[in-house]
Amino acid sequence: MEKVSVWSSNRFWRRSATWVTGVSAVLLILLTFDSMAQMKMGTAADLKNKVDKRIPSPTVINYKIDYQLSRARGHEVPIIGGMDANGKSKYEVKEKFFGRDNYSEEEARTLIHKGKLTIQAKNCMDCHTFLGNGAYYAPDLTKAWLDPTWETLAPAYGGKEYAIAAFLQNPPAMAMHERKMPNLGITKDEAKAVVAYLKFMSAIDTNGFPRNFGKIKGAVNAWK
Amino acid sequence: MHGNRLYEGQKLALKYYFVAMVLFGAQLLFGLLAAIQFLYPDFLFGILDFSINRMVHINALVVWLLYAMIGAVYWLLPDEAQREVVGIKFGNLAFYVLTAAVAVVVLVYLFIQVGPGKESTIWFITEGREYIEAPRWADIGIVAVVLIFLYNVYATVMSGQRTGILAVLMADLIALAGLYLAGMFYTDNIAIDQYWWWWVVHLWVEATWEVYVAAVGGYILMKTLNANRKVVEMWLWIEVAMMFGSGILGLGHHYFWIGTPEYWWEIGALFSALEPVPLVGLFVHVLYDWGKERGKGNQINNTPAFAWLTVETFGNFLGAGVWGFMHTLPQINLYTHGTQWPAAHGHLAFFGAYVAILIGAIYLALQKKAGLEKLKMSKAGWWAISLITVGVLFMTVALTLSAYTQTMVERGMYGATWEGYFAAQANEWFWQGMCWRLITGLMVIAGYALLMYDMIRLAKKAPASEAEVSTAAA
Amino acid sequence: MCIEPCRDVVCTFWSILNQGPMTLTITLHTLIVLPMVWIYFDEKKKMERGDIPTE
Repeated sequence: MEKVSVWSSNRFWRRSATWVTGVSAVLLILLTFDSMAQMKMGTAADLKNKVDKRIPSPTVINYKIDYQLSRARGHEVPIIGGMDANGKSKYEVKEKFFGRDNYSEEEARTLIHKGKLTIQAKNCMDCHTFLGNGAYYAPDLTKAWLDPTWETLAPAYGGKEYAIAAFLQNPPAMAMHERKMPNLGITKDEAKAVVAYLKFMSAIDTNGFPRNFGKIKGAVNAWK
Repeated sequence: MHGNRLYEGQKLALKYYFVAMVLFGAQLLFGLLAAIQFLYPDFLFGILDFSINRMVHINALVVWLLYAMIGAVYWLLPDEAQREVVGIKFGNLAFYVLTAAVAVVVLVYLFIQVGPGKESTIWFITEGREYIEAPRWADIGIVAVVLIFLYNVYATVMSGQRTGILAVLMADLIALAGLYLAGMFYTDNIAIDQYWWWWVVHLWVEATWEVYVAAVGGYILMKTLNANRKVVEMWLWIEVAMMFGSGILGLGHHYFWIGTPEYWWEIGALFSALEPVPLVGLFVHVLYDWGKERGKGNQINNTPAFAWLTVETFGNFLGAGVWGFMHTLPQINLYTHGTQWPAAHGHLAFFGAYVAILIGAIYLALQKKAGLEKLKMSKAGWWAISLITVGVLFMTVALTLSAYTQTMVERGMYGATWEGYFAAQANEWFWQGMCWRLITGLMVIAGYALLMYDMIRLAKKAPASEAEVSTAAA
Repeated sequence: MCIEPCRDVVCTFWSILNQGPMTLTITLHTLIVLPMVWIYFDEKKKMERGDIPTE
């Protein structure tokens, strides 16, 4: 029999490349179906029935949101409407958002729709990061709603949603650092919608990103 | 043999290359502005804000790489298929339409910048989705132009020689074009938005573009070293298997923290960990071929093209492979995600993987245009490649230092709040990295000026007469 | 002992396979690489029979 070398045969590698590419693509598509089902936005009924969703209903803006370590998951998770003894969301404690805590599903959806459009129209992602993606010229906004900075400003504005909205409408006036946010012509309605989006986004389950958010204050500085 | 005469397809390639090199300049210019703003935030504040400079910086990069990629295909297509490009008239038309569209999009970016929070902004001003900000009308235009390009490629190969390189490119280009569609819709759900956004971004730069580079790299090896086609194409198929095998599911390393299920940690970490393997292969392959041909006493036909190809393999392995792997495991990525880490990785990876090889491809074209049997590296060309390569390498080191500081201070020590963010930005170790980034950026710009000088000089050379060819070869 | 209960928000086939750093990856890699062994022997058989036109 003739001695052959399969390893140096172009045909063998061509068939292998075709197979590997094809099966990887099929696996990716199967995984995508699974992920899409899990990432579908929840509904107001889910919140009422206390069903954990990775991306909750926009009506989550009616609830108090927190971000706490879950022993079961091994990292921090969003806590919606208070935490029970097992470290899970209770979906009970409400929190007023611009004076109301009874936004209907439709109202809340309209609000975050406008918020997301504004976030895109103002190119927020080319300075900030959302869920960690974007540019690195300004802070990450994944959990911005829960940032301690707003808690300190809240009393002067009658609530942190008012403080954030005021900031967005004229950022240079409330500049906190030398590196300022420019005035992007965000209207009052747009500002409210963006704040709604930030609150909604803080309730997305990001598998514990960012870690230790807001837990450590004024820690050791490497230089000073 | 077609001799020294250029195919119509190759003349079109030169047009694409020209626009690509101009946009390369724009990329560097806007990168410079953004780098200055990191140190002097009041610079152009309210006129050309960081967001705009950064957007134009990266969009110019993506578009010029695509221009050069399309150009390189039009260049090698008739040469490989041994026939003129089919439908070249449409190809030419598409070039002018695309260039006009790019000009309009950039003018709108610069002068209108942002719009109200309405659908009309998404359609006409900006989509506001990092890297693919181009408004929807431009998306549709890009798809139309790409369809013409694909028609040119497919029709030419069908009626000409079908080499292994062309077979890989045909499959790769259709995937590349198809993936763009994944970024052309709007959703209120930011998690799903980013999920599909990564299909475009990752499956372009970590899968289809890499395979494209392997194919064009093979062609350059054959042209500069007279490398054996059968060996080159065998390597190419191995690289396709490894790049798609690791790159397609390696997509999972972008699905750690965006609202996706936890199983992506495992898939993303370990598939993307294998992504450097084909890049090592590419590197070894090129050096091996070089050594073999030198051993036979053969000279390199085009030293600048070959030098840039070598920079490509080295930079691709180091920038995409090593720097990518450094922050691809979820336990580390939890802290590095959204810091200067991806910036450090991105600068060396894009330069190494794509910029270098496409400059090499342009040198290859300029050699044939000038009708030179052999093209030797000029002094300007040598300074250009040295300044740009060393500049980007040091820029990456500088950004990596900043990235370490940001990761440790903002994420590790302060738990990622606004206070932590600004504490890290004000840290001396951070901003000194930014200073060095600016200095190395100026080095790259100086290198670019020399590169343009060298290329324009070559491009202006009339096709050489016989006598000139022999002196140049001597 | 070695098998961990699924802890993700929703438990599907993939989340159950996700048992730490390797299981899911090994499963997927096996699925991708194993058939290449078959391709190898199939090619070898064809080459030995001389079925393959020289390229």
